[in-house]
Amino acid sequence: MSDVSSDGVLKGVKELSLATRLGMHLGTFIVIIGGWELGSRLGYVNELIMPPPSSIAARLYEMFFITGSIYYHYFVTMFEAVCGFIIGVSIGLSLAIASAISPVFRRYWAPYAVVFNVTPGIAVTPFIIAWFGFGWSSKIALAALVCFFPPFINTLTGLLFIDKDATELFRSLGANKKQYFWKLQIPSALPIIMAGLKLAMTGALIGAIVAEFFSASEGVGILMQRFAFRLNMDGSFAALIVMSLMGLSLFTLMEYLDVKILFWRRHSRMEEVSKKRKAKWSIN
Amino acid sequence: MADEVVIEAKGLSKAFTETVIAVEDAIFQIPKGSSLVGPSGCGKSTLLRLIAGLIDKTDGNISVRNAEVTGPRKDIGLMFQKAVLLEWRTAIENVLLPNEIRGDVGPEAKQKAWDGLQLVGLKDFEFAFPRQLSGGMQQRVALARLLQTGADIMLLDEPFGALDEFTRERLNVELLRIVDDPEITTIFVTHNITEAIFLADKVFVMTPRPGRIAAMIDINLPKPRTIEMETTPEFNALIKEVRDVLSGHLDGAPL
Amino acid sequence: MSSIEPDINHNIEIGGEFKGGLIGATIRHLLILLVILFVWEMANRTGMGDPLLLPRPTDIVLSIWKIYVTQGNVWYHLWVTFKEAMVGCFIGCVIGIGLAVAAVLSDTFRQFLKPYIIIVEATPRIAIGPILVTWFGFGMSSKVALAALVCFFAPFVNTITGLLGVEEESYELFRSLGATRKQVFWRLMIPTALPTMNAGLKLAVGSAFGGALVAEFISAQSGMGILMARYTMSLNMPSAFAGLLSITLYGFILFRIMEIIDHRVLYWRNDELMEKKSLQRSLAWNKEMKS
Repeated sequence: MSDVSSDGVLKGVKELSLATRLGMHLGTFIVIIGGWELGSRLGYVNELIMPPPSSIAARLYEMFFITGSIYYHYFVTMFEAVCGFIIGVSIGLSLAIASAISPVFRRYWAPYAVVFNVTPGIAVTPFIIAWFGFGWSSKIALAALVCFFPPFINTLTGLLFIDKDATELFRSLGANKKQYFWKLQIPSALPIIMAGLKLAMTGALIGAIVAEFFSASEGVGILMQRFAFRLNMDGSFAALIVMSLMGLSLFTLMEYLDVKILFWRRHSRMEEVSKKRKAKWSIN
Repeated sequence: MADEVVIEAKGLSKAFTETVIAVEDAIFQIPKGSSLVGPSGCGKSTLLRLIAGLIDKTDGNISVRNAEVTGPRKDIGLMFQKAVLLEWRTAIENVLLPNEIRGDVGPEAKQKAWDGLQLVGLKDFEFAFPRQLSGGMQQRVALARLLQTGADIMLLDEPFGALDEFTRERLNVELLRIVDDPEITTIFVTHNITEAIFLADKVFVMTPRPGRIAAMIDINLPKPRTIEMETTPEFNALIKEVRDVLSGHLDGAPL
Repeated sequence: MSSIEPDINHNIEIGGEFKGGLIGATIRHLLILLVILFVWEMANRTGMGDPLLLPRPTDIVLSIWKIYVTQGNVWYHLWVTFKEAMVGCFIGCVIGIGLAVAAVLSDTFRQFLKPYIIIVEATPRIAIGPILVTWFGFGMSSKVALAALVCFFAPFVNTITGLLGVEEESYELFRSLGATRKQVFWRLMIPTALPTMNAGLKLAVGSAFGGALVAEFISAQSGMGILMARYTMSLNMPSAFAGLLSITLYGFILFRIMEIIDHRVLYWRNDELMEKKSLQRSLAWNKEMKS
């Protein structure tokens, strides 16, 4: 007799109701945070190592509402990351498109890109700082470097590996290279390009922060490092939470773009766009 | 009324490698309204692509309307086993693709696309996306797209092969209705003998390894064809004829 | 949840067809490299290039010789960073795969984890570096910890995706044969998930190195990260470059090793290897039958 239940190991995912999930999370939250807080107060948990949630919260409150010091640093790091993202992605996309269109170009460039993709861009940090100095530009540069690769590799892969049948269709209709590029290659590659952009966004933030760790005077990264080195643990945890918020907001932005742009991957979006196009239709 | 010879091949061959010879020495003349049948892997698709100008021959020659085939042509339209619709375009936008590529998307083209979708039975689905359509419906869009090209030579490579029998039957009936035009030459490639006989005026039987045209059989069944005809003795006699060619291909003399 | 699976074959094909064969391509690239190096060298000598920015190739070569042979200090640092990264990678992978398996075997757990996965995915995990250094001190453990933390995510996500990718019909087949849960897991789920898991492991190795290096930047006494940092800070650019080249080279070698392992393990994705294995097994079978 089979041990595997009729539900299988995985199938028929019993979707837990929203209420159950909220309940679970609330319960976990209370248990962990409560236990942590209690442990701290009772002296079981060393305040220096794991500051109690209350002091972290107090710190956050202070940073955001009292001194307001955090806003500037938040802005700096965000700015560095976003600039790096824009630069890295622009270069990555252009080189990838050039490589996709011109086999000659590709032969000379692409192997290096693949090779360097393997090396953690992080390793170049000392050089970037040495070249660009301690200011913002070094952070932007590192962010750009780190986030160049995913869009490059993904875009190139997406543009090169097009469905053979679709290619044949276009050939049979007598399409020229330009039409093939705009009407087939680009839309077909969009999903994988978006995936690359999402990775790039994560990478840009990491690049900016790592550069700050190495040497900086402003930004949430260096703020956190300073707090930590001065054993101001609740401050550094607060900074960590702020960085987490940064990451989440960028992530949400990318997800939003994904839903908007790749409409044909979700039923609800398809219906939306379908209606729009129907309304726009006119024989003339 | 003599059948106009539309496609002519002499000694046509396509060898992919030394050992993989897809088509060898094909000699045929195809008038309007033919079917090409043979088992899987016998080179039918290759032959179709040779006619369409999508692949190059290795020997012999193939000409359409007395002009040698050098590449894709406007008067030849194709339909594949997969609908190959662009997922990010609505049905009607997919149908308009040929016009876009040829650069003439005017009111006439749009009207024709609209009418085309009505013709293939997709009223109210003009703005649906491929993912919202079933396999059969997707193939109908592909058919509408084919009609949109205005090609009068239509090459269909097992377009309904991936669909279930009932949908296939229905689509075959509709296909006959749509291409029932003396100006249109249709070559329908399939491995289904019944389908081949049902659709065609002439059936070319192809045998595998290497691919050769073994026989051409005239189908003198009355038109319009109906599904009921498939159970008549005449129909079954034709089926037997085709089967005999296929099973005895070692003995059968090439055309 | 984003699953990261770079296709091995794609990476090779992107490089483009090797016109003139592999030898031809290598020669071509070497020639180009020589030309670039020559121009670079000349630019420096004539004072056009700034030796601080891009040191002379000859100086770099000398430094390579120095750090590898005369001083030989690079070996120690390489070993340190390597240790940190590998141990961290191991821990990260074990945790990642472990959690993934737990998540797959228990629906509830997986749904529970979902929001946290998103949060962890969005947070730059490397940011926790300073805190780890404060906790674990300046020694090796902080590097290992950061490496582990940074690299656990890829194997985790990929293992989940891989295990969830088993088709319904395969499960039905196993059930119809009366398989136990253990058998289903080891004989069906794991082999199916291997390609994706492998891709995750490759990513993990890369991230682990990154994590180790970053931890070293924050504060360390030994390791390639701190070595390069010291060289650049003291403006000893040739040596710093020598260090960077070393890292790039070893990273590449490691990557190739992983690709080879990948190829051998996933033999059913590669035609040639499949035929070899097929032959091997048929020979073994015959031998067994005869005895």
